[in-house]
Amino acid sequence: MSDLLVVEDLTVTFPTTRGPVEVVKGVSFTVGRDETVGIVGESGSGKSMTSLAIMGLLPKGARTRGSVRLDGTELLGRPERELRRLRGDQLSMIFQDPLSSLNPYYTVGLQIEEMYRAHRDKSRRNARQVAVEALAQVGLPEPERRVDHYPHQFSGGQRQRVMIAMALVCGPKLLIADEPTTALDVTVQAQILRLLADLRRESGTGMVFITHDLAVISSIATRVLVLRRGEQVEYGTAEQVFAEPRHDYTRMLLDSIPRIDDEVSA
Amino acid sequence: MARYLAGRLAGVVLILFLVCLFTFVIFFTLSPDPAVMICGKTCTPDRIDQIRDVLGLNQPFLTQFTGFLGGIFAGRDYGHGANLVHCAAPCLGYSFQTNQSVMDMVVERLPVSATVAIGAAVLWLLFGILAGLLSAVKEGTWWDRTAMGLALGGSSIPNYVLALALQYVLVVRLQVLPFPQAVAFGDDPVVWFQSYLMPWIVLATGYACLYARLTRANVIDTLAENFMRTARSKGLSPALTMRRHALRPALTPIATIFGMDFAALLGGALITETVFGLNGVGKMAADSIAKNDQPVIMAVTLLAAFFVVIGNVVVDLVYTRLDPRVRITAR
Amino acid sequence: MTVAAHPQQQVAGAPATSGRRVAGALLRDRAAVLSTAYLTLIVLMALGAPLISAIIGHGPNDFDTAAVNTDLGGIPHGSLGGISAGHPLGVEPQNGRDILARIAYGARVSLLIAAAATALTTLLGVVLGMLAGFYQGWVDQVICRVMDFLMAFPALIFMIAILSSLPQGNRSVLLVVVISVFGWPYLARVVRGQTMTLVNREFVEAARASGASTGALVFKEILPNLRSSLIVMTTLAVPGYVGTEAGLSFLGVGVAPPTPSWGQMIASSVGWYAVDPMYFAVPGLFLFLTVLSLTVLGDRLRAAFDAGEAS
Repeated sequence: MSDLLVVEDLTVTFPTTRGPVEVVKGVSFTVGRDETVGIVGESGSGKSMTSLAIMGLLPKGARTRGSVRLDGTELLGRPERELRRLRGDQLSMIFQDPLSSLNPYYTVGLQIEEMYRAHRDKSRRNARQVAVEALAQVGLPEPERRVDHYPHQFSGGQRQRVMIAMALVCGPKLLIADEPTTALDVTVQAQILRLLADLRRESGTGMVFITHDLAVISSIATRVLVLRRGEQVEYGTAEQVFAEPRHDYTRMLLDSIPRIDDEVSA
Repeated sequence: MARYLAGRLAGVVLILFLVCLFTFVIFFTLSPDPAVMICGKTCTPDRIDQIRDVLGLNQPFLTQFTGFLGGIFAGRDYGHGANLVHCAAPCLGYSFQTNQSVMDMVVERLPVSATVAIGAAVLWLLFGILAGLLSAVKEGTWWDRTAMGLALGGSSIPNYVLALALQYVLVVRLQVLPFPQAVAFGDDPVVWFQSYLMPWIVLATGYACLYARLTRANVIDTLAENFMRTARSKGLSPALTMRRHALRPALTPIATIFGMDFAALLGGALITETVFGLNGVGKMAADSIAKNDQPVIMAVTLLAAFFVVIGNVVVDLVYTRLDPRVRITAR
Repeated sequence: MTVAAHPQQQVAGAPATSGRRVAGALLRDRAAVLSTAYLTLIVLMALGAPLISAIIGHGPNDFDTAAVNTDLGGIPHGSLGGISAGHPLGVEPQNGRDILARIAYGARVSLLIAAAATALTTLLGVVLGMLAGFYQGWVDQVICRVMDFLMAFPALIFMIAILSSLPQGNRSVLLVVVISVFGWPYLARVVRGQTMTLVNREFVEAARASGASTGALVFKEILPNLRSSLIVMTTLAVPGYVGTEAGLSFLGVGVAPPTPSWGQMIASSVGWYAVDPMYFAVPGLFLFLTVLSLTVLGDRLRAAFDAGEAS
């Protein structure tokens, strides 16, 4: 079976007053079905731009080159109308800060429902049932009651659970998680990571997991891509990258995590 | 909720009481003697004393003040014996100039001010918000820069200058409008409309320009929010993304400002009404001030303060409906 | 930095001191330059009012009945409100007073009152706002209640009521006091909020921990951080006060005649606008352009400061 996502020589360029600047420079990787690929890098390494390029959500003015194929379908250069039909349905995304990523003016139920209704079933009653089930699936207690609550009435971890429920409501083939645990407390981080890993395994979704934290990657990804200033400096299986990093930059990133060798090798 | 409302209403009453007291003190201590003014040129000391007696002006401050407050809630009597006049609650006294009941004057003129305020509000909301939205969506374009330049200019024209300029151009030069007349809607709807059109435009211009700039800024800020990126990542249609996710957060703060502006206008558009000779509360205020007609000044000050503080409470209540993050908590 | 900078940093360019950067941004903005030029002209005109009077040969209160047509009810001779070599901006109908001279002397009154009201408002707003934000507790409670009360007041009606009942006396001083009493809460509210956040910031806490006196805290740590918002707020307040002064004079409770003021000139032109439109157009235009220039300048200042904070 072919790979789910194939990214080939992806380049993202931004126009600035001093001429075009490349923020992603020829990045290539693949994500298999039922696999998690980690993208690691510091802020400004181009990891978020890579994910936005896959989603087709780059800011106005950005230009892309190369190829991004989802299930054999080329995404780059597709008309916005068609991309919109894929977004949320075939591929969806979880963002770093769940509080600001949810609209404070609407109940979480409505925000999950509107996504389901946009792609699947227009009827409101079915959508509501789906939203309740989605909230139950991410382990939110009392989903029938919570579905009518507003984002500010949830804790940080619960909000990220809501985001995950929303991202998975249409059963996408690919899930992009952009630093989903960075804004959370350490204990909550672990819970959310486990939830993501479990849900992904159950649904067989492919996942791109973006983080600046190699320690997080080690527990969730099978393959790792390391980016530095838009350039791909390392790409391989997690074992390879952690055991014998080929690039100084990766070594530096590895050195910066507190060593818990047992866990990494386990 | 009930406790909250009770607390807020107590605050309203307190502020209105303070406004009353403050205004009363100013007149009691600073103003020239109204009895002398009422008496006019052919006056005798006896006549002045008589007027003072009827109006209660020779009584101490506290008696006069409680008399005024009592009149509002229970009604009051002026003079005694054959001269006794009863003023039923809510009594705001009688005009020194016309001897008319001030309450009647207010009731008679309030509809004019309301008509001015409502018409202007419709205009400024329509044009202000529409222009602001367009500017925000077309940020940085030719349209945006022109509209915002005009908005900056429009909010800098003092409304009496605009009123005179409009009258000169539309009435004197082009003669497309008649000079504003005091006509009831039922008598002649066309002349009624023509008469109110200029006041509406004059009053609406400044607000429309301000609202256009506010709307633009709010919409641009909202479009940059993270939840807009989420909405796009969900594959929602652009129309739904804009209508549901951008407009409500962007326009909610404007609803608050509108409530306050509109409430303030119900208390009378002083300058606009005066320039166009509209017999509203604002013109009544200007006239009473020019003639030092104290009961009327007291009434218009109180009325304007009443609308402002009530408007404040209404806005806060409405806001809790508009923004789910705002909860009512008893103070 | 030895490595190539991140694109966003490249765009921002070399760091400059904030004052110089803001001045530079304003100099590149055509609207800001034009506004500054116009305002400079008005200030020069106000300062040089006696000189202008001397050059054109008319004082602000000199009647010139030769310039008006007494047969036609006192309409100025000539088509554009009596513009001539001797009266560059025309004359008032009926008495023939020179409009340029009155505009110049009126500018003195308008600008002086607006500037004084701004100064007093800023002083009150900063002191009371900082007191409330710095000490919080009951001080804050009291100041906030007073602000609520003043902002609930129908200010315009009340200003007129007070001014009309007060003895003539020194109207300019009264105007300044009355405008400031009702104006300071709007500034104080912002100052209070910013002081509150500043007081809790690390550098202020550090200074406090190292034993700095209250005075040192206020003048060395808090006030400098309020500078940019104060500059913007005061610049935006001036046009408001120019407008308020003109409005009050227009309603007949401003500066007492024969002292000229722009609002008063427009007020006296009301009866003449149909036959002598120049009479209201000239002071109206001066007033409009002054308010506009000050607004544009405040607006651009804010944009420049905001851009500085973002980078």
